Amino acid sequence: MDPVTQSKLIENRRQFFGRSTTGIGSLALASLLNPGLFAATGNNDKSQNGLAGSPHFAPRAKRVIYLLQSGAPSQMELLDYKPTLKDRHGQELPETIRQGQRLTGMTSGQKSFPIVNPPFKFQQHGESGTWISDLLPHTAKVVDDICVIKSMHTEAINHDPAITFFQSGHQQPGRPSIGSWFSYGLGSENADLPAFVVLLSKNTFYQAQPIYSRLWGSGFLPSNHQGVKFRSQGDPVLYLKDPTGTDRASRRQMLDSLAQMNQIRATEIGDPEIQTRIKAYEMAYRMQMSVPELADVSDEPQSTFDLYGEDARTPGSHAANCLLARRLAERDVRFIQIFHRGWDHHSSLAKHIPVLCKETDQGTAALITDLKQRGMLDDTLVIWGGEFGRTVYSQGGIGNYGRDHHPRCFSVFFAGGGVQGGISYGKTDEFCYNIVENPVHVHDFHATILHAMGVDHERLTYRFQGRDFRLTDVHGKVVKDILI
Amino acid sequence: MRITLIPIMIAALAGPPLRADDDTSLQFNRDVRPILANNCYPCHGFDQTTREAGLRLDTAEGAVAELESGSGRAIVPGQADESILIARILSTDEDERMPPVDSGKNLSESQRETLRKWISQGAPYEQHWAFVPPQRQPRPKVVNDAWTRNLVDPFILARLENEGLQPAVEADRRTLIRRVAFDTTGLPPTRDEIQQFLQDMSQDAYEKMVDRYLASDRYGEHMARQWLDLARYADTSGYQYDQERTMWVWRDWVIHAYNQNMPFDEFTLQQLAGDLLPDPQPQQILATGFNRNHPITIEGGVIDEEYRTEYVIDRLNTTATVWMGLTVGCARCHDHKFDPLSQKEFYQLSAFFNQLPERGLNGFDPKQRIVSPLAQPHDAATLAKIKALKEALAVAQRPVDDQALAGWTESIRTAPASQWDVLTPLQMKSTGGSQLTQQPDQSFIAGGANPQKDTYEINSTSQETGITAVQLECLTDPSLPGGGPGRHSNSNFVLSEFELVAVSIKDPANRKSIKFSRARADYSQANYHINNAIDGSVAGNNGWAVDGPTRKQSATAMFVAAEPFGYDGGTELQFRLRHEASFATHGIGRPRLSITRKNPAQLAFEPTPEAIRRIATMEPAERSAGETAEFKAFIQKELAAQAKRLQAEISQLNPTNQYPPTMIMQDMPTPRATHVLELGQYDRRGEAVPAGVPDVLNPMASGSPQNRLGFAQWLVDPAHPLTARVAVNRYWQQIFGTGIVKTAEDFGTQGEWPTHPALLDELAREFIESDWNVKSMLRLLLTSATYRQSANLSESLRERDPENRLLARGPRYRLDAEEIRDQALAVSGLLVDKVGGPSVYPYQPAGLWLELNNRPGLSKEYKPGQGNALYRRGMYTFWKRTVLSPMLRTFDAPGREFCTVRRSRTNTPLQALLLLQGPQFVEAARQLSARMMIEGGESPESRISLGFELVTARQPNPQELKIMTQLYQERLRQFQQNQETALNMLNVGESPRDTRLDVAEHAAWMAVARLLLNLDETINKG
Repeated sequence: MDPVTQSKLIENRRQFFGRSTTGIGSLALASLLNPGLFAATGNNDKSQNGLAGSPHFAPRAKRVIYLLQSGAPSQMELLDYKPTLKDRHGQELPETIRQGQRLTGMTSGQKSFPIVNPPFKFQQHGESGTWISDLLPHTAKVVDDICVIKSMHTEAINHDPAITFFQSGHQQPGRPSIGSWFSYGLGSENADLPAFVVLLSKNTFYQAQPIYSRLWGSGFLPSNHQGVKFRSQGDPVLYLKDPTGTDRASRRQMLDSLAQMNQIRATEIGDPEIQTRIKAYEMAYRMQMSVPELADVSDEPQSTFDLYGEDARTPGSHAANCLLARRLAERDVRFIQIFHRGWDHHSSLAKHIPVLCKETDQGTAALITDLKQRGMLDDTLVIWGGEFGRTVYSQGGIGNYGRDHHPRCFSVFFAGGGVQGGISYGKTDEFCYNIVENPVHVHDFHATILHAMGVDHERLTYRFQGRDFRLTDVHGKVVKDILI
Repeated sequence: MRITLIPIMIAALAGPPLRADDDTSLQFNRDVRPILANNCYPCHGFDQTTREAGLRLDTAEGAVAELESGSGRAIVPGQADESILIARILSTDEDERMPPVDSGKNLSESQRETLRKWISQGAPYEQHWAFVPPQRQPRPKVVNDAWTRNLVDPFILARLENEGLQPAVEADRRTLIRRVAFDTTGLPPTRDEIQQFLQDMSQDAYEKMVDRYLASDRYGEHMARQWLDLARYADTSGYQYDQERTMWVWRDWVIHAYNQNMPFDEFTLQQLAGDLLPDPQPQQILATGFNRNHPITIEGGVIDEEYRTEYVIDRLNTTATVWMGLTVGCARCHDHKFDPLSQKEFYQLSAFFNQLPERGLNGFDPKQRIVSPLAQPHDAATLAKIKALKEALAVAQRPVDDQALAGWTESIRTAPASQWDVLTPLQMKSTGGSQLTQQPDQSFIAGGANPQKDTYEINSTSQETGITAVQLECLTDPSLPGGGPGRHSNSNFVLSEFELVAVSIKDPANRKSIKFSRARADYSQANYHINNAIDGSVAGNNGWAVDGPTRKQSATAMFVAAEPFGYDGGTELQFRLRHEASFATHGIGRPRLSITRKNPAQLAFEPTPEAIRRIATMEPAERSAGETAEFKAFIQKELAAQAKRLQAEISQLNPTNQYPPTMIMQDMPTPRATHVLELGQYDRRGEAVPAGVPDVLNPMASGSPQNRLGFAQWLVDPAHPLTARVAVNRYWQQIFGTGIVKTAEDFGTQGEWPTHPALLDELAREFIESDWNVKSMLRLLLTSATYRQSANLSESLRERDPENRLLARGPRYRLDAEEIRDQALAVSGLLVDKVGGPSVYPYQPAGLWLELNNRPGLSKEYKPGQGNALYRRGMYTFWKRTVLSPMLRTFDAPGREFCTVRRSRTNTPLQALLLLQGPQFVEAARQLSARMMIEGGESPESRISLGFELVTARQPNPQELKIMTQLYQERLRQFQQNQETALNMLNVGESPRDTRLDVAEHAAWMAVARLLLNLDETINKG
């Protein structure tokens, strides 16, 4: 596309976050926020722009809600039932299974690796007969809508690199987050809201791992693609409220004067950026109305709280965020991500994990049920999972057992968005230590999510430092088996 | 054959001819290499491991060689039809066609034609332009020669004339001074500066104005601020808990270096290898902090070598990007796909940075305390104090002769048994619920519940007046954990704050909080000095601790009152021992309090032992030899203790000790072997490689050391093709918004072709030949006719050159985050102009840090600063990598987890919300409006004009004046009807409101000031 058409496009388009003025990103952004318009120019210079013609094929999912369980939930306690562990409780993990692969600095000095059988019961649920831990009674009710992937694996064994890997496809900081790729690639469907919204649950576990804004950062993409935090404390969006208490009419009056002043300047200077800025102020004004409306759940009927639990009335709880995620999804926000921390149980796991399950289980299941009831589950992909798994052996003795980081296998689940419900995918050995069937790497996970959204992970690229970067780096294959 | 190769605009943007001559013939570097690099090199390039069919197209030899298949040659120069390459790219058979379908790459019609024409013309190859050293360029011939002002302009004008464009008229003086002020200092011009420039009718008024700004201390800050993005400077360590680090002394070095106009070669040598210079000076060592600014992990379980490797590679990647504009990181896992850099060469380069005695986990060492170059010399009072302390030290260090013994005998004889009167606790209360039990010796033991935080409230009385000091003994007791002095299981305590209120018993209304001027302790744990207990702060873990885990001994502290206290008729003493550190259950186990009326300077912690007092009463002749020796030993011990204390006090005053240790570079005495790492992984070591530079670039000078110093010298060798070009291109980007090479971080074959290659070369040579004079280079750009053009653009020019790459107009773009903040503070009069020092904590919405990171002991709450700390320049805002200040983040400042060469420049509603409603901007509007009222005369018009001029440097036109006057009048009417609304309006921000001003008027003017701070013109440089 030549710059002339490009600049016209920029002016013609409504969009939430304005364009980047670096020029690099504006081309890309311009295209996908209005794919139809872009396609009409007949551009096919894919090397400059990974977005031409995307979505690349008909998407199954229009949006993603990703419930990230930070700290790494234990797969043995929740989703990957291993009945034979009961007989091996307290026994040493066989060297043939451990195969001497690398351990974290926390257990690499340990002399003994005693197997711990989870002290929680598993039962089969739903028509599919999926085994689920009694710790997740609500999730158990939606098993026929979810696909449990038991064969996830990753390369990192520590939290920071592992969660960075899940969020950006790379262990070290610097790459765009998955949500920002979607913002860049598919743009926003809602002119009044960003394409990528982040919700943080309030943390209650005193040893919780921290998270970092790079997890929703835009890396080398233009910074307007970074996730926007909707907060449960203070203004939902930073600086949304006027601290001087100025009323809406007076704000309108000021904005009108401001727009007139900027318009005079625009006429004189001729810089199209001024028009964009005038629009940004209008958008800000609208957000002052639309965002509090969105965050205010008082219009929800009692049945909503019966479903999500009374906890959903407490801002910042996982349940409240799940409800908010549904409200965002209704408004066509493209990528919604909830971060829930506190799953890092190196000791006293049996004491802590029920607390985390209680915090998250009902909201998660309610979200899936709610979307389904509203007919939105078909085109909304819900994802639940952490950044790695946990070891079958105890960190320390087996008394007050804890589990160390385990990247070689762990479980996540998908619901909706074109993924089959009521199935499990992949298998681990009877020690839940190695994958024996259908491994799914983090890159595959990313490729599959992109695919569900109609994006070919090999074609969504961004040129930086001379290289066409992808979320999936040079790897990744779509897990087609789980798709409908 | 006439072929339109590329749509006209693309061609225009793609660049002019390298040697300003014939524009129609193809050039390999400009026209052909990008096509080959992008589409063919991944499989037919420099990287032999991924090379397909044995064919390489990045060299002429490879391209014309017989193909492995024996089917012919990829390229037969001059004969496109004989060239297999052409057949394959034109093939309609999907299995045959290149590039392959599954590569996702696709050649356009015009690209195919370009390749065909190039082969027809003989397929000439050229070395990539950026790897050929720059040469002086002939001045291009231009028609409108009168327009040119310096060597920049003919190059720009030649291109414009070639394109059929005319330069814009010169911008007016007000526009120019604002543009220059921001480009040199990052701040708007003051009214005085504007007036001075407007009134200067001399020929070189403009140049003089530029020079004034270049000479300002603000210049160094502005330049340093931009360097910090490249240097990935931050105040935290980045990974996981992202805790604080102190590198700001290095930041001071950068500010100072720019203000001294340190030549760029020197600037380079010192930062990359200051420690290796002959006889390195502390300041040169300080400079090496550049390559310690990368993130460092503290995550418990990490593998040390994995992260150490990351740090080494970060240093190399950053250095290569900043100085060479090379993306060497691409060769970490395999040979570079596009540039002639092998994986082996990558590791050879990394060897220069692999010699530090460092660790991956907690790898903060080596560090050193070094004085900031911005330090002020000591004032006279401090100098006098040091002199007195040194004299006292000399006395204490004198040998103990008979005369000294006699003096001591006398003073011990007459001294009272104890200098301290022990206080009896009359009331004891623990806010945390501990059980406080009085002991026979008047100490009390804390037992029972062991709360997270606790304050002991102890009341006692004294009849004394003129009390000079209070003593707190923290005694040990077998009932305490480990028999130590503290309540925590590790025997430690942290006394956050020690407070005392004196109340007159006769007249309880007569009371005062005792201010302690200093404190001493016989023992303080590192970083938990006794001074922390009287500094008025309990923030963080600020307090006094005594190494309980290892020491388990009692400790005594003495608090000296600023002035003697005690009421006639008796005094009630109300003590508060506050324990509020985030370390739980760190209470003092068995405290005892006492007071004294003695001169605090002569107080010792312990009374003289009985045995010594007895000897002192004897005549020297009566003493046995043993007693004489014991007495002498005691005195020697006392003197030694005194000397130690004095030395500590002198050391405290030593400038070096007033700065925190800062990370520095250092090479180990025995070099560490560097290996090629397969797939870039720390644990997959391949062959060992010596340090070295890539073959494609100039060699290191013979005899130069094969270490970082040699490497740095190689970078600034005038024969180096990249260093000067990359540096001047960044200056260009800084001034004009976009570099001559737009991809300022990538000068390799995938980088964008320069818009004005000859100009870039000319500037690079100019820079080298000026001895790398940075201010001269900036001055050259700022005084060019190109820079001085008006930024106004017509619709046709906007369509023709939306990004202003051809420069047929002046630069106009949004200010950076820090500039937007600094401007608001400057125009409102709030800006504090202190240069350098530790980072500060301006306003920030509550909870932003803890909501991501709230682990007790490892995480910290953001505590906004007070007073001046709220009004420093944006570059001093505490830079937390994982939760950047929202003010900075919203306006596109990078988190600095890695080197950033170009910031995004976005235009979003979140920015509007911040400027409209962020407390810093609301407060600035209040102060700006006060200025308008006080300094702007009486009429609304004159007040508006003042405010408008402060933010835009110009006068408003009648139309603008009318809009703002109307806004003022309407708001005034509203506020006059509702005083309360007006007061609310004026309530934001810590700085006091000028209460002399009428509330309704002030609020109405504030509405206008908010508009002014939000104008597009205000936040743009135009």
